[in-house]
Amino acid sequence: MRVILLTGKGGVGKTSLSLATALGAAARGHRTFLLSTDPAHSLADAAGAKIGARPVRLAERLVAQEVAVLEELDRSWAAIQSWLRELLRDEVDELVADELLVFPGLEELISLRAVREVEATGEFDVCVVDCAPTGATLRMLRFPDALRIFMENFFDLERRGARLLRPLIERVRGARRLLPREEFFDAFERLYRDVEDVRRILLDGARTTARLVLNPARVVVEETRRSFAYLSLYGVATDAVIVNRRLPREASEGFFARWAEREREEMAEIEGAFPIPILHAPLFPHELVGLEPLRGLAAAVYEERDPAAVYTQARPIRLRKRGSRTLLEIDLPGASKEEVDVSVRGEDLFVRVRDAQRKIALPASVAGRGVSSARLSDGVLEVVFEP
Amino acid sequence: MLYTGKGGVGKTTTAAATAVCAAARGKRTLVASADAAHSLGDVLERRLGPHPAPIAPRLDALELDARVEMAQHWGRIRDWLVQVFRYQGIEDVVAEELALLPGAEELTTLLAVEAHARSGRYDLIVVDCAPTDSALRLLTLPEVARGALRVLLRVQEAVTRVVTPLARAVVPVPLPDAAVFRDVDRLLYRRLRALRRRVTAPESSVRLVVTPERMIIDEARRTFTELSLFELGCDAVVMNRLLPPEAAGEAFFRDWGRLQEERRREVEELFAPLPVLPAPLRDDEVTGLVRLRAHGDELFADAPPDAVLCRSEGVRFRRDDAGHFLELPLPNAERDALDVAKLDDELIVRAGPRRRALKLPRRLVGLGLASARLEGGRLVVRFARGAEA
Repeated sequence: MRVILLTGKGGVGKTSLSLATALGAAARGHRTFLLSTDPAHSLADAAGAKIGARPVRLAERLVAQEVAVLEELDRSWAAIQSWLRELLRDEVDELVADELLVFPGLEELISLRAVREVEATGEFDVCVVDCAPTGATLRMLRFPDALRIFMENFFDLERRGARLLRPLIERVRGARRLLPREEFFDAFERLYRDVEDVRRILLDGARTTARLVLNPARVVVEETRRSFAYLSLYGVATDAVIVNRRLPREASEGFFARWAEREREEMAEIEGAFPIPILHAPLFPHELVGLEPLRGLAAAVYEERDPAAVYTQARPIRLRKRGSRTLLEIDLPGASKEEVDVSVRGEDLFVRVRDAQRKIALPASVAGRGVSSARLSDGVLEVVFEP
Repeated sequence: MLYTGKGGVGKTTTAAATAVCAAARGKRTLVASADAAHSLGDVLERRLGPHPAPIAPRLDALELDARVEMAQHWGRIRDWLVQVFRYQGIEDVVAEELALLPGAEELTTLLAVEAHARSGRYDLIVVDCAPTDSALRLLTLPEVARGALRVLLRVQEAVTRVVTPLARAVVPVPLPDAAVFRDVDRLLYRRLRALRRRVTAPESSVRLVVTPERMIIDEARRTFTELSLFELGCDAVVMNRLLPPEAAGEAFFRDWGRLQEERRREVEELFAPLPVLPAPLRDDEVTGLVRLRAHGDELFADAPPDAVLCRSEGVRFRRDDAGHFLELPLPNAERDALDVAKLDDELIVRAGPRRRALKLPRRLVGLGLASARLEGGRLVVRFARGAEA
């Protein structure tokens, strides 16, 4: 099953574009499932239709659902939370504890489990996901690694230890509640397996890709560049960028003349920052609510293309480790040594090829380090950072 | 004064305009950016560094390098985490990313700002806060960690004496040493608590910046609830990027103009009793002292930019044996005209013609409504415990 994740900052029009993508795919004949995992669901509002926690038929060959995030979370997290809550009992109010026990990102990742369930039905060719993978969500993709450490090292020990130590510890005042119960370990194991499943789907670049939605505004472009770097870092393929709400010509004069100019500057920036297909959607003169206007949006974005296709499988930016050094590989087909210039400023790597400058966001762990060498061979620029 | 809101709503511009305006009106002002993606320097058209730089009479500005600050405060804790991850064969790059606590960067910046607040050199400190709530969430760490830490320290002692030799043989993971715990202790107890006292003090407040967009407003509502929960007071909502008449008059934008009027009324209702400060979209980015001053003057009009604009307590949460309570000030409400209901994750309160919808903390979403009554101008809602619901 093809999986398309639409992501981007809140407010850029991610939900409208998810609906448009799903409607476009269904119109092409794909049996399509549209899933919202964003805790602040807006699918129903945008579609102008009733969509809830149960799958509903939205159009021909199109089924939609908003995942009940809190319930999903409870299903796998409740036992673990109740133990942690117990730990915190005397220190903070229950209400505060509950807000705190939500690991940033885990919530969204857990709700992506629903993709697995859609796949299990065997009734769909495409699953479009309206999600909010912030840096935190992507970080959670590596959660299984952290969990595995727990599972393999502490887990058995703790489980056995908890059983052995319980009689002893129960005598120490206040220490009793620190010992997790069996349910806790079971829940942990389940959570681990769930996250592992989600990860398997997300990291399969042959069928799962992310599409980044953004607006041609500086702050949005900056943050989306960062998301792109993190998607690359954590191994999720991005097959397109969708630039939403471009000022149409009739709106680019008068009051908005200067903004239109700024937009042209941002477009150049976007082209340099995302070496993958770039799709465009105009700002419409009215809010896009209801299926018909959304089909119009789909036509504007995808034109003749099949929205369900994988637009590129290339990973034009790769981060690797060699010994103690981190290195970044960037595809620069056709560039020659004399034309390329590399420098680091703050959290960005600047690559100048002839007159075009590309600004690549660096993950926090290498940002601020110096470049120890840069080499171009066979159209690949290799930048090595100081340890 | 902490300005917060999603990235791209104009938070930095609003913070800078406030600072420029306050300084021009005689207040010794510092404006600091706690946003990792600094843009304060761009807006002020100056290169900024980690130390207060004079920008105008009575106005200093700074942008902190969170990484340097981070190394100071979290260095050892982070090193240990990296060691653990690395030990397990996770590549270094990823290990280092994993070891960065979400929100730690922003929090570190706030800690540095607190030092300036203590110096007494300023009447007003305006902070351009990161578009994330994790920093605010981390502010409650002292309380949360107290229990866990106290226990851990005790365990640590026992572990070092008895278990470590054994554990090292069984658990192939580096155990944190005393230095890690000491760092945690210093960070959490002294500095974080001081910071928390500062931001919850009556002369501190948070301002939410929104644009007339549904998603942005929804998100701000959630932040509003979280802030109440963590006892941080909000004193205003800035509604930014409102189309001015000359733009809303253009044929293409007529519908958008109408829609934003609706949204503005909505925001006034949703965030009542907070005042809503409208700020227009300009025909270009607002940068430089002159434009910022004009923007600030229009935003505050006659109100002093450094004042806490609203001292209303907002929503309060408490708990006793009878269950969870939510208290909401509803001055002048009449019992007959009152209607309270819970819909999904929101509490809907209708008082005569006024309607409020409040995002509920997670804990309360799963509970039913037990009772609602008016007590001296406050609505007191009790939530049922499990079985009652």
